[in-house]
Amino acid sequence: MPPEDHKAPAELPRPGHSRRDFLRGSSLAAAGAVMATSAETAMHEARADVSETDGVAIYSGTCPIELKVNGEAMSVTIEPRSTLLDTLRNRLGVTGPKRVCDRASCGACTVILDGDAVYSCTTLAISCADHEVRTLESFETDEGSVPHAFHQNDALMCGYCTPGFVTACQAWLEKNPGQEPTLDDIKQGLDGNICRCGTYIGVFQAALDAAKAMKKGGA
Amino acid sequence: MAALWPDNPRLIGEGVPRLDGLAKASGRAKYPSDERPDGLLFAAVLHSPHAHAKIVKIDTSKAEAIPGVKGVHLIANEGATLRYHGEEIAAVAAESEEIARDGCRAIAIEFEVLPHAVTEAQALADGAPRLTPRGNTQAGRAQEDGDPDAALKEAAASIEGEYSVPVITHVCLETHGQVVRWDGDAKMTVWSSTQNVDGVESEMAGAFNVPATDVTVLTPVMGGGFGSKFGADTWGVAAGELAKKTGRPVWLFLDRVQEHLTAGNRPSASAKLTLAADKDGKLSALIAETAGTGGISRGAAFPLPYVYEVPNSRRQHTDIRVNGGNARAMRAPGHPQGCLIMESALDDLAEKMGIDPLQMRLASLAEQDTVPSGSGEPLNRSEIYREQIKLGTEAIGWNQRKSRAENAKAEGPIKRGFGMALHQWGGGGRDDKQVTCIINPDGSVELRSATQDIGTGCRTVLAQIAAEVLGLKTTDINSNIGNSQFPPGQASGGSTTTPSMAPPAYNAALEARDLLFKRIAGALDAEPGDLSIGEGVILVKGEREVPWKDACRKLGTMPINVTGSFSEGLTAQGVGGCQFVDLTVDTETGVVKLNKIVAVQDTGLILNMMTWKSQVYGGVIMGLNYGLFEELVMDPSTGLSLNPDMELYKLAGASDIPEIDIIPFDNEQMRKRGVIGVGEPPTIATAAAIGNAVANALGTRVPHFPMTPMNVLNALAKA
Ligand code: FES
Ligand code: FES
Repeated sequence: MPPEDHKAPAELPRPGHSRRDFLRGSSLAAAGAVMATSAETAMHEARADVSETDGVAIYSGTCPIELKVNGEAMSVTIEPRSTLLDTLRNRLGVTGPKRVCDRASCGACTVILDGDAVYSCTTLAISCADHEVRTLESFETDEGSVPHAFHQNDALMCGYCTPGFVTACQAWLEKNPGQEPTLDDIKQGLDGNICRCGTYIGVFQAALDAAKAMKKGGA
Repeated sequence: MAALWPDNPRLIGEGVPRLDGLAKASGRAKYPSDERPDGLLFAAVLHSPHAHAKIVKIDTSKAEAIPGVKGVHLIANEGATLRYHGEEIAAVAAESEEIARDGCRAIAIEFEVLPHAVTEAQALADGAPRLTPRGNTQAGRAQEDGDPDAALKEAAASIEGEYSVPVITHVCLETHGQVVRWDGDAKMTVWSSTQNVDGVESEMAGAFNVPATDVTVLTPVMGGGFGSKFGADTWGVAAGELAKKTGRPVWLFLDRVQEHLTAGNRPSASAKLTLAADKDGKLSALIAETAGTGGISRGAAFPLPYVYEVPNSRRQHTDIRVNGGNARAMRAPGHPQGCLIMESALDDLAEKMGIDPLQMRLASLAEQDTVPSGSGEPLNRSEIYREQIKLGTEAIGWNQRKSRAENAKAEGPIKRGFGMALHQWGGGGRDDKQVTCIINPDGSVELRSATQDIGTGCRTVLAQIAAEVLGLKTTDINSNIGNSQFPPGQASGGSTTTPSMAPPAYNAALEARDLLFKRIAGALDAEPGDLSIGEGVILVKGEREVPWKDACRKLGTMPINVTGSFSEGLTAQGVGGCQFVDLTVDTETGVVKLNKIVAVQDTGLILNMMTWKSQVYGGVIMGLNYGLFEELVMDPSTGLSLNPDMELYKLAGASDIPEIDIIPFDNEQMRKRGVIGVGEPPTIATAAAIGNAVANALGTRVPHFPMTPMNVLNALAKA
């Protein structure tokens, strides 16, 4: 672990990076500056220990923050470096999102942050204070829902990647209401996720079915 | 004679969605890595940053002094030699995972860095460091059949070729690990991400000298194993030690880097060979020198010749040791390697002789390749292959295939090619496993066994079998597995789980049904022989219908609890399959794009068509990863792995998946064979078929797998 244990800091202007923006390659340098300000505010509000060295703020210690998770306000004490994923899983017991690559390449940790699918493994928890986090535990599960479509199409085997696929799918459908995606749309929308068991064929069908059900439901 | 599978089943063979599917798809299923018992500490592992080094001094005092660090456990001690990048050194338990990692960083180690050999070439070079007292190579016993030299002289044609495929890793999405809780001084609960709950139980019991009855291993669901999760491992024992030392439960899962480097790999394989055939294209001689590395361990053997009958052959295999993690079984150990080497060579020979490679394959199948059948007559697998090939060639459109020469002449940079390959596997069951079936007076039914569901759907098919026997719905059965305190269950390896567990589940349900009839007949004013099963009801003399629950209520307060075991006639082994690939290659960029894959597979009686298909799709996709993308890259100069991650260690994403056509080879005769496992076979031939399709498209062989742009362009540059 130690030699490779570099956690990417959140470098983008908003908490978490949208997976799509990330793939397109955002302008990191410009974004970093903005982040510094918003992180600073969040930190101060959260009362972490802040010291200044050569004009650079250094955060340390632990800080209590409030997170809104699945509609519920949750208080939690974190470290400034704690990721949203580890905060959810290790401190709040919200274990639906999984940690797999821990560096924004597999999608298993996907959550919906203010409506956008983001990789929670590379989003700092501190930056999510006062933002709305949704995990798949909060999704509907009855007929017409995304989890239901995954189940009916056997779009999972070991199921460890599944939370990420389900969440990416849900976010896509919410962003594109009433649309019936093509297979190519689905593939593109899910390209930020990896499944080792090879459940893609079922996943594609589940996504198509869920979209169809949503369109019917919405019409 | 014990019962055979029903002739006209109501549920067996149907596509039934898996019982735990919704729990998995809604984030509610608790994986071992999701367990959070009260008072939990998180642990992290410190691993070797060097390919080869001795620990001169190790000082943990700084780590122990960090607030929040609760325990440090050394896996390797002073004086120990670390033999690969990623080998475990110590584990630290702390109040949070972040602090546990700080603890790992704070362990001060003085290393004596030793010279390394991380590639086969380095290990074989003059002056290479000796990695074991016996040296860096270990030759297997030479294997010889017939008279290959004479046969080669008489052959109509022959080729000499060199083929190779690199080391890959399992990449289980849930990394290896467990949560350990001591319940008092001598009892232990282990939530383990394993494909072998019984094995982990006995290993942990042995390591801590407690009776196995006091170790409970729980694996209700787990996030992938593929052959790498059979044991408790050093980190399992470390978690147990830390839990003991701290008096608190400990969560310890490897991180992604460690998962790649120390949790197992599929060994590389290479061959230098001569293959010859007679004028009809029937293979006549094979002379091969083969090698492979499974890292610091052995285990790089693979079958050759493969599938086809080669009457005269000589083969010498050498295992090469390098400073890399240990090999572990990986989905059809040895077969994908043997398959891609054999099938590449056969294809090249057919090309040289101007024969359709399909004809050479058909000509080279053994005349008689007998495989058993559970309740029917033994079969000739060569006949099965012939029928499968017919189905596959039609589905892929083999008649569109052009020769290599024609493809090479085609206009433009984009070339299309077709390829195929055959594979085989065992997949039989073991006869020493058990399943308990409990029928409660309230009508609820539970199955219990210590086996686990590695993602295949084992939990669901066992329930389906019991539901079939008892006239219930699959969802009515509580299929309770993944608990080492239950009757002995099969480890998930060798595609043996379902064929080992299906017979005892069937027999347990049958015995439970018969006992139910015996116990309630009086209350229904009937003889046990008057009772039979209908859908959701017990029938009295075939007429009067008593709803299942009402009937069970007649049990009073005593549930039925019987344990079933194996019986003859329900399983077999020895399957065959073939796969076909249609792809295009961009000769300017070297990028291979799959258009379509067809997989034809036989595995006897298919219990659940839905989960069966998922397994075959999954096998094909794992195979296409092997054919196109995967390689664990070792840096010769630093001795470190360059891609222990999930971006540079490439796996297929959604856009890489072509159309995949799965054809179950399912007929009366196959169903008579009984249950055979399907986890492994469908992943074997895919890479081989891809390699052959690339060669067909380009007009030249790409001898080194995977079919990456680099390997493709290198081959084109040489052509
Ligand atoms: S765990 Fe976050 S993307 Fe892989
Ligand atoms: S279902 Fe196992 S990794 Fe996707």
